[in-house]
Amino acid sequence: MMMGFSVQRWAAWAPGLVNPASWETWLATPHPLPADGTPALSAMPAMMRRRVDRLGRIALQAAYDTHVDAPDAPVLFASRYGDLGRSVELLTQLARSEPLSPTSFSLSVHNAIGALYSIARGDTSSYSAIAAGEETVEAAFTEACGLLSDGVPRVMVVVYDEPVPTPWEHFSRDVAFPHAWACLLSASTGADAIRLGCATGPSDAPVTPEAPDALPADLRALRFLVSGASRWEHAAGPRRWRWERHA
Amino acid sequence: MLELEQEIKRLVIETLNLEDLKPEDIDPAAPLFVEGLGLDSIDALELGLALQKSYGVVLASDSKENRRHFASVRALADFVSTHRTRS
Repeated sequence: MMMGFSVQRWAAWAPGLVNPASWETWLATPHPLPADGTPALSAMPAMMRRRVDRLGRIALQAAYDTHVDAPDAPVLFASRYGDLGRSVELLTQLARSEPLSPTSFSLSVHNAIGALYSIARGDTSSYSAIAAGEETVEAAFTEACGLLSDGVPRVMVVVYDEPVPTPWEHFSRDVAFPHAWACLLSASTGADAIRLGCATGPSDAPVTPEAPDALPADLRALRFLVSGASRWEHAAGPRRWRWERHA
Repeated sequence: MLELEQEIKRLVIETLNLEDLKPEDIDPAAPLFVEGLGLDSIDALELGLALQKSYGVVLASDSKENRRHFASVRALADFVSTHRTRS
């Protein structure tokens, strides 16, 4: 069992859902969301913002809305698919023997969105970018717990994804709409402490089948984090990730 | 020449996503990089590529020369008008 933590504050963004109250209502009774929309990201200076495309704008809107006036802290950017749209564009240009856009090339790495956030805020804290398949959120929180047990007072986790772009959409339809959420974590041993653990083998918890219209795994994690539920188990391959809250 | 300057201003705005700027906001004599418009080295590469595509100008790797050509919109227009291979 890893270090206990609590969520000091959080924010999330998806088309039509821009504040915690609308998110809480939606997480309780989700309905389909529009596939298009981009936040204003007015917190970022225009000269930096011009380099940030839709996925980055959504991720950073959640990051700015969560960070606000909190002191600088390590940030973990976690995305299962990242900015695949940019890679498709660059690979298409390469296939046509066209010159690549230097800007697009420089921003095509998984940590580019985090790097723009760091540069825009002049924040030299430790930043990481994580991708770990369907266990991306758990990987990010495992890293966060590691940092907290090392004595870091706060860690921010930013989770973001958008639908897999054409021509790869048949590989995954898990992400139906672009969205991002972020939370600022601190170590906790109190009654509100959340703990994340990992086990293998059959579950000892009653298995609740997911509804066919179930949320993507990362939003189920968000629902657990902000809802006050006592437990959420996420089975992925041979592993069972157990999120628990001892209230 | 004025027409070419206008054209290059539009190219700069479009290529570099300067969404808040209009061509008339750019002083053709003002520095493009660091001061003035505040562009950086990635913008220089991006702009070089756009000029190559639009006008067929080839930029040498001599950075001193390039610094002169990229000094302002007016300097770029001078450079393009004498080196263009595409109209």
